Amino acid sequence: MSATTQGTSAPPSPFKAGEPIDPVYRQIRDIVYKVSGIYNTDEKLYLMVDGCAKRIKELKLKSAREYLDHLTAHPSRDGEMRHLLNELTIGETCLFRSMPQIDAIRKVILPEFAADKTKQSMKRLRIWSAGCSTGEEPYTLAMTMMEESEGVLKDWRVEIVATDLNDRSVETAKAGIYGDYSLRNTSDYYKRKYFVPADGKKLQVKPEVKKLITFNRLNLSEDAKMLFMKGMDLIFCCNVLIYFDGTSKAKVVDHFFGNLNFGGYFFLGTSESLLKLNDAFHLVHFPGTIAYWKPSLKSGKL
Amino acid sequence: MTTNLAPSMLERIKRIEVTPSIPAILMPLMKLLCAPSDGVEMDEVVRLVSYDNVIAAQCLRVANSPLFGLAVPPKSVSSAVISLGMRRVESILLTCCMGQAFPVKKWVLDPVVFWKHSLGCAMVSRKFSEMLPGTEPERAYMAGLLHDIGFLVNCLAFPGEFTKAMEIAQREQIPFDEAEIAAMGFTHCDSGAALAEQWKLFPDTVQVIAHHHDVEGAESEKALVALVHLSDLLCRVRGMGYGYYERRRVDMISDPAWEILFREHREMEGIDLARFTFELDDSIGEISELVSTVFGGSPVHA
Repeated sequence: MSATTQGTSAPPSPFKAGEPIDPVYRQIRDIVYKVSGIYNTDEKLYLMVDGCAKRIKELKLKSAREYLDHLTAHPSRDGEMRHLLNELTIGETCLFRSMPQIDAIRKVILPEFAADKTKQSMKRLRIWSAGCSTGEEPYTLAMTMMEESEGVLKDWRVEIVATDLNDRSVETAKAGIYGDYSLRNTSDYYKRKYFVPADGKKLQVKPEVKKLITFNRLNLSEDAKMLFMKGMDLIFCCNVLIYFDGTSKAKVVDHFFGNLNFGGYFFLGTSESLLKLNDAFHLVHFPGTIAYWKPSLKSGKL
Repeated sequence: MTTNLAPSMLERIKRIEVTPSIPAILMPLMKLLCAPSDGVEMDEVVRLVSYDNVIAAQCLRVANSPLFGLAVPPKSVSSAVISLGMRRVESILLTCCMGQAFPVKKWVLDPVVFWKHSLGCAMVSRKFSEMLPGTEPERAYMAGLLHDIGFLVNCLAFPGEFTKAMEIAQREQIPFDEAEIAAMGFTHCDSGAALAEQWKLFPDTVQVIAHHHDVEGAESEKALVALVHLSDLLCRVRGMGYGYYERRRVDMISDPAWEILFREHREMEGIDLARFTFELDDSIGEISELVSTVFGGSPVHA
């Protein structure tokens, strides 16, 4: 999963554990949350501190306080917020990024789908990884589904659509070759079962995993193309919405809602929320993770 | 109030060793801490605690632990209150008191897991209450802290049956109260309510203990029962449950408890549930440390 604010291996931090954090960073966290829906808990505040440090250096500012002023009062504050969000979410993706999301899918959602009478007749599951970057998320999903192919998903047809705006990312994703860093959360069991050795110390995803996924370039802002993505049961869009401003973000989220089947789920990054962008989605909790649910017709909650 | 327990069960509850060993200061302390919001009489609390050497010593031990990292270690309960603030001292005191009331050696449940959940629920209930004008955060805190006290009754009065319930809950990954019904025919709500009545706890706390899994069944104080019910759910999906994975989707906004609270408190509409959830994660570390300091390491009582 490409959620980037929940790193497992902490990068070097400019402050030591147990040392009090400058309250300015909590103010910056609040502003970041209000703009993007991304919340860095105290434990992950080092990411915020690191990100700000880079921006402070770049802008040749003297303190976090000055940077806060820059973020709130400077004429270029909107652009600066984008720079900061980039710092907070950049290049941290890896396979099996968020185990609580995977557990929720395997332990709760798939059994729920399998018990759904309407779905039972079709035995078809459609998943969309929107903003799939270099493919870590869709491959994680594909392997997760394959693990269930002899269990709750026996005889089901699974289709995963993976899209990204960036052509080069899509090409890298199609190749499916990953090094140690991307595979740091992948267990030996999965490495042996679903990968073959590639150049150097890298591993490549096996063709049978790739077969489940269709990779495409897609701009989430293109309304006409978004209308063709109907009939999804699960949509993942981790740390992608930060690149949209208020109105276009709401429009993209409306498209996601429309593209989901009733009873389907929409997942964001692990520390990301929809704020108040769409009231029709229900925020639901699973152990360790949240998701947005499109209520089923029979629940009468829509 | 009526209870679902058979008379023979009530006899077993009456006979457990818990009742005689309630720390003498617990009830007056709770009354003081729940006093109307014009401020807790700090001097009174300190005076009361100084009557109980064991509790006072334990409070100081926790206050001096690395958890709080105080530069000048407090040497008296009053200096602990000044250094840590009344709220933290309150959590420490109540945790110590409850720890004394229930001898750890007889527990079927892991006391660290239990108190982490109870303190977590207390803290979330208070935070929740602070967002709803007209409610009393300290009473919510107390009710949250004690809501699952029936688990302790079950540990002591029905250890065999309760162990079986725990095994079912862990194996099937279902909510604990459902496993209790399957194994025992009654839940911790029934046995907790019986004890709460013996202890003559506040009527609102008794309602919470008896009905936090059946909010609509509450005879009074429905809003408080609903508030603790939702806080309990939130703790269980954010790493402060009973130490096992509950296979469930929690949809708080569709929960009847949400509707009950909403009827009395329109402010519910403005609550950002995602952010509330992320903020809860910030408190887990401190709660875990506090509980480990009181219940981990050297035995709290003989």
